[in-house]
Amino acid sequence: MSDTQIPADTGKHRRANIESHEATPVAPPPSVTRRLVTNLVPPILAGILVILAYAWVRSGLPPHRQFLMPSGTGIWELAFGIPDFVLELLRRSVTTMAIAVTGLGLSISFGCVMGIVMFRFLFLEKAIFPYLVVLQSVPVLAIVPLIQSALGFGFMPKVLIVALFTFFAVPTTLLLGLKSVDRNILNLFKLQNASWWVTLRKACLPFAGPTLFAGFSISGSLAVIAAITSELFFLSGEGGLGQLLMNAKIDFKYEQMYAALIMASVLSIAVYLFFKWLGNRLFSHWHEASGKQQ
Amino acid sequence: MSADSTSTTAPEGQAAADGASLPGGNAIVFDHVSMTFPDGTEGLSDVNLAIAPGEFVSIVGPSGCGKSTLLKVASGLVTHTGGKVWVDRDQLGYTFQDATLLPWRKVQDNVELLMELRDFPAEERRRIAAEKIELVGLTGFENHYPQRLSGGMKMRVSLARSLALNPAVFMFDEPFGALDEITRERLNDEVIDLFVREGFTGIFVTHSIPEAVYMSSKVVVMSRRPGRIQDIFEVPFAYPRAPEMRYQADFSELCGEISLSLRKAIEG
Repeated sequence: MSDTQIPADTGKHRRANIESHEATPVAPPPSVTRRLVTNLVPPILAGILVILAYAWVRSGLPPHRQFLMPSGTGIWELAFGIPDFVLELLRRSVTTMAIAVTGLGLSISFGCVMGIVMFRFLFLEKAIFPYLVVLQSVPVLAIVPLIQSALGFGFMPKVLIVALFTFFAVPTTLLLGLKSVDRNILNLFKLQNASWWVTLRKACLPFAGPTLFAGFSISGSLAVIAAITSELFFLSGEGGLGQLLMNAKIDFKYEQMYAALIMASVLSIAVYLFFKWLGNRLFSHWHEASGKQQ
Repeated sequence: MSADSTSTTAPEGQAAADGASLPGGNAIVFDHVSMTFPDGTEGLSDVNLAIAPGEFVSIVGPSGCGKSTLLKVASGLVTHTGGKVWVDRDQLGYTFQDATLLPWRKVQDNVELLMELRDFPAEERRRIAAEKIELVGLTGFENHYPQRLSGGMKMRVSLARSLALNPAVFMFDEPFGALDEITRERLNDEVIDLFVREGFTGIFVTHSIPEAVYMSSKVVVMSRRPGRIQDIFEVPFAYPRAPEMRYQADFSELCGEISLSLRKAIEG
């Protein structure tokens, strides 16, 4: 890279710029507080921005429409500050969670069986998979009235709606995971004349675990939303958070509606984090992505 | 055992009940073996090769010539479409191009895997695994997960896993191709050590002529696809082999001869 090789007249070439590059001493590992700061400050800042934006939009509303966006103090005074209401909120959360968890349980158990069956028999995969996609593309909301007419207003029709919402991700992620086992690992089992069942248990299922849990997280975060949606159509009896939302609208108690919304998000996030946590516990010792944040 | 390369009914590899039933007392016999894939490409064509017990045979050939297919046919992973294969598959060792460890199993449990599939009692599995882990020099790493091991260490786990079944025939399908030169040469020595100690019959597919000569008692050169046996070279050096052998004149000379044969094989 000597200077003389560069034609001096073009002017386009950078002249050799030789300088010594200093070494950087080994950086100490980031301390706990520092890690906390890097992990917590950005979301907190973003949260503050959202709250400011909310307050700004609210202040722009004409006074007779401000009920649409209750203030923080309003939500406290008329909702979270009232012990009776908090009790009701919790009771209704339990009702909603019962629907969500039962529906999710159905999805997971049937979905896993279906994923394994499709993996075992190619013709069943060919037969079932297109209809899974069809099922996923049916607007579930649009068939809720049908479910209602057929099954009534009890617990099971709501569970069925949750199952319809959450089913798709389970068999599809399981099938994907089962199919991506390394060819030679299968050969290894084949050389020992291992049965299909043993190969499934010792090779395919463990391998599919992380993918399947990604599916569980997707389904899990949909389950609470689905449960609340199902309740919007079933207003009789002692209902869950969805019913509370509708009641709050009818009674013009928008603070309570916001409280229910916040509760619903908390529950949804909790289900999502549960599967994240469980997946990490089960797989992080061998599966790289499982141990990572998020 | 007449040759019938057009036969579409695949003759099953003959699992010999007693060693005497293998023709000529050999460990592996390929008798006019051919292999045509479902899409019509010919992988192997009329392969005849007999390997005696205790031999270590390397197979070299142009890439895509069917070297790996030959191992797959011998092990029963794929079924040939003509001719006969004689081999005792009951005690078969097999290493693939990568270590194929189960990432969720610790070293110990990976080494126990094949014994588990063969329903060995737990105590025996533990004892044999410890023994084989020591044999490949990984004592102390029993509780490590594969993702924390280097490429060479993973390969050693893979070797230990196969050795646990005490194989009579050990097939190596280009096992060290992905490793660096130094690790590769060390593993060559280790496999020779294992071969001398355990006394299996070795069949080793490789791209590297020096590796083939260094390790084997016989080097087989295959022609380009569809693979046939083009040449067989006897390697006259005694076991165990010293690394210095690689720098001796007669070693280089043999490598040169095989190179020449391989060049002919590629040109057809």
